[in-house]
Amino acid sequence: MRVQHNIIIAGVGGQGVVTLGLMISNAAISSGQKAIMSEIHGLAQRGGTVSVDVRIGDYYAPIVPDGDADIIIALEPLEALRSLKRAGPRTVMVMSTEKLPPVSLGINKKQYPDIADICSSIEKQLKLHVINALDLAREAGNYRAVNTVIAGFLLGLGLLDIPREIIENEISRVFSGKGAQANLTAFNLGYKAAEAEGIKEKAIP
Amino acid sequence: MSPYDSILTAKSGDRLFLLGNEAIARGVLEAGVHIATTYPGTPSSEVGDVLFEIAGKAGLKFEFSVNEKVAVESAFAASMSGLMSFVFMKHVGMNVAADAIMSIAYTGTGAPMVIMTADDPSMFSSQNEQDNRIYAQLAHLPLIEPSNPQEAKDFLKIAFHISRDEGLPVIFRTTTRTSHMRSSVVVGEIQERHREEISASPGRYVALPSNSYRYKETLISKMEEISGTNYQDLLVTRMGNPESLHGVIASGEAFNIMMDSLKKLGLDIEVLKLGIINPFPEKIVAEFMQKHPSVIVAEEVDPVIETACRSLAQKYGLSVNITGKLDGVFPMSHELSPGAVENILREILALGRNERASTYQISMEVPARPPVLCPGCPHRGTYFAVKRAVKMLRISDPVYSSDIGCYSLGDYDPFNEATVMLSMGSSIGVASGISAASDRRVIAFIGDSTFFHGGIPGLINAVHNKSRLLLVVMDNDTTAMTGRQPNPGTPVSLAGQYTREVSIEEVVKSTGVDFMKTVDPYDLKQTLTAVMDALRHDGVSVIIAKRECAILRDNRNKKLGVEVKYTVNPEKCTGCMNCVTNFACPAMSISGNRVVIDPNLCDGCSVCTQPYVCPFQAIEMEGDAGAA
Repeated sequence: MRVQHNIIIAGVGGQGVVTLGLMISNAAISSGQKAIMSEIHGLAQRGGTVSVDVRIGDYYAPIVPDGDADIIIALEPLEALRSLKRAGPRTVMVMSTEKLPPVSLGINKKQYPDIADICSSIEKQLKLHVINALDLAREAGNYRAVNTVIAGFLLGLGLLDIPREIIENEISRVFSGKGAQANLTAFNLGYKAAEAEGIKEKAIP
Repeated sequence: MSPYDSILTAKSGDRLFLLGNEAIARGVLEAGVHIATTYPGTPSSEVGDVLFEIAGKAGLKFEFSVNEKVAVESAFAASMSGLMSFVFMKHVGMNVAADAIMSIAYTGTGAPMVIMTADDPSMFSSQNEQDNRIYAQLAHLPLIEPSNPQEAKDFLKIAFHISRDEGLPVIFRTTTRTSHMRSSVVVGEIQERHREEISASPGRYVALPSNSYRYKETLISKMEEISGTNYQDLLVTRMGNPESLHGVIASGEAFNIMMDSLKKLGLDIEVLKLGIINPFPEKIVAEFMQKHPSVIVAEEVDPVIETACRSLAQKYGLSVNITGKLDGVFPMSHELSPGAVENILREILALGRNERASTYQISMEVPARPPVLCPGCPHRGTYFAVKRAVKMLRISDPVYSSDIGCYSLGDYDPFNEATVMLSMGSSIGVASGISAASDRRVIAFIGDSTFFHGGIPGLINAVHNKSRLLLVVMDNDTTAMTGRQPNPGTPVSLAGQYTREVSIEEVVKSTGVDFMKTVDPYDLKQTLTAVMDALRHDGVSVIIAKRECAILRDNRNKKLGVEVKYTVNPEKCTGCMNCVTNFACPAMSISGNRVVIDPNLCDGCSVCTQPYVCPFQAIEMEGDAGAA
């Protein structure tokens, strides 16, 4: 049986949300599956909420219906919380801990909420995998490679039905030269982080 | 190599993973279009981004026009000169262009011409969600509506065929979802371009009453001709069980959502997909409604297809039961949501409620993340200074007349500098109207591209009518909000060719304003002083706040390897929070009782180091902190 993936990627403009969506979609297509993707470009050029939906399988509409997501990838904890309203009973969430405080916090003299509180709020409702992708991206030599770390993490967790070589080829294709090496390292660090977590999720039927 | 190169170099039969708008750009090449024109506007902008990039290599003439009306006129001129032309814009741009379009419908075209409108149901980045299919009815022009990138490309070529056959411009309507959906597209052959011989009798393109009187009849008969031709075979599809009790008629993204919902619910119902909305495919729809006693119509946003179906049912005396928006089942506002469509189908087919619907609650307060000016955005300095000037001059109850562009984000906290905002260029017209209607001080904001687009007539009007207003032109050297396209104030036009900049200063001066000063919005003191001076003037005063878009500079610095960052010295930061509450740069946030700057976000503009933002000089260039 072919795995059908409804993936929502939530983050903040400038985090590489669209690039991650492209990476997953292109790799799915290269591995012989169908994929469609929806990009919503909001008002702000940077710093606004961005969400990309990827649907792998036989679909017409590019948006994942509320409650139907298999995976929600949140590149930012507040966006993880915000995307919770689109989750459903089979949703697994993967969250990167990189905090991007919205200006609304500072204006109201408030601090960013505690990551532990955010996690427990999410975990009450669904399966959550947390990764410090920013640290791993820095370790790989490029703090912008957070999205590639996440791609590795997803594969390491067994959440994506895409062969590892295919996604690595995709990374080499998208990022040229030095960028490719840092991103491949980032991917590998993400993959290992999943192994270290000692959880091997079965691909969702 | 540009990422868009493959759109040009792909061979017939190749498969590309394309955004709807990218597929349209490929369709432009495959159709053999000579000249393409546009004014950028989301969700249509990427078509222009691709064409701008590849036009030179593709041998296509491409123009960022000053506004949509000029873009249409320019494309029409190509058509009457025998060159196939394509003009594209966002839905509200069609309002600007409508005057010209209505006349072109009457005069007809020369070489084929297609007008694309990218509608924005749910208003992801627009001031309204008008359904431009109704323009086609108003103008009596053919309208084609694709559902996905493949169709967007293929239907565009059919649109050019219709235009060629009928001598009419064809309207091509996408929505945000089709324009911004990405999927696999099989590309076709790129057509050779050639100039066509157009033999036009004298007066052919002159829309004088005596001519138009005749042209109207020709237009109607051409549209009747299309109703009878076989375009419907190319643009209308029937699928699913022809014997089902219920039938679905749908177009665009509503068709996609319907297909997924039917599959999810395991329903085998016949679906009639309409790719041509005007002229309405009357025969096939009437036949479909005869076959199915219950017909569900799904479309976005207005009940255009549904109204036509109801009128057909009346015309042919059909006893079909039609479900749509007019009977209150589908919503009259916003795009359709898959969940809502599923529930409507469940209701009609008595399938019971959807138990899987999300019941997920967020147990903690999630701080809002409204759209925000970028780190280093020059508009932040302008808004900061204007707000302060108004406060220092004790102007109570000012009217901020805002306009369309990045600077409309000045409406959000902490600036709140938008009392009114309507449409492209409206800020100045509204401001001069306010000055006539009340004694309130009025400050209008407009960007460089919007000033050229539709602001100039408002300024002339204000001077002519002796208004009392301050106009702040926020000139960042680009059309920023749609992705940084050039405009007449930019020294670049087609694909990097240098052109003459039109000087905003000279334009403003020539109107005879009472006061004008150009400032650098990164210099808060200079900007504040100038705004206060301007506000002390009666009559029309203009401040030009000139500083390039931060993203343009960031991109250049990235290429050059230049990296400047600022950091908060925790010993000097008193925690007064003036910066985060009044300046609100996204790179700054509160940690403990101090402010921190995220080095990944800081763009090095240094504006926050000025005493108006940090009275304690706690913000220092990174690397300098230790030495200080």
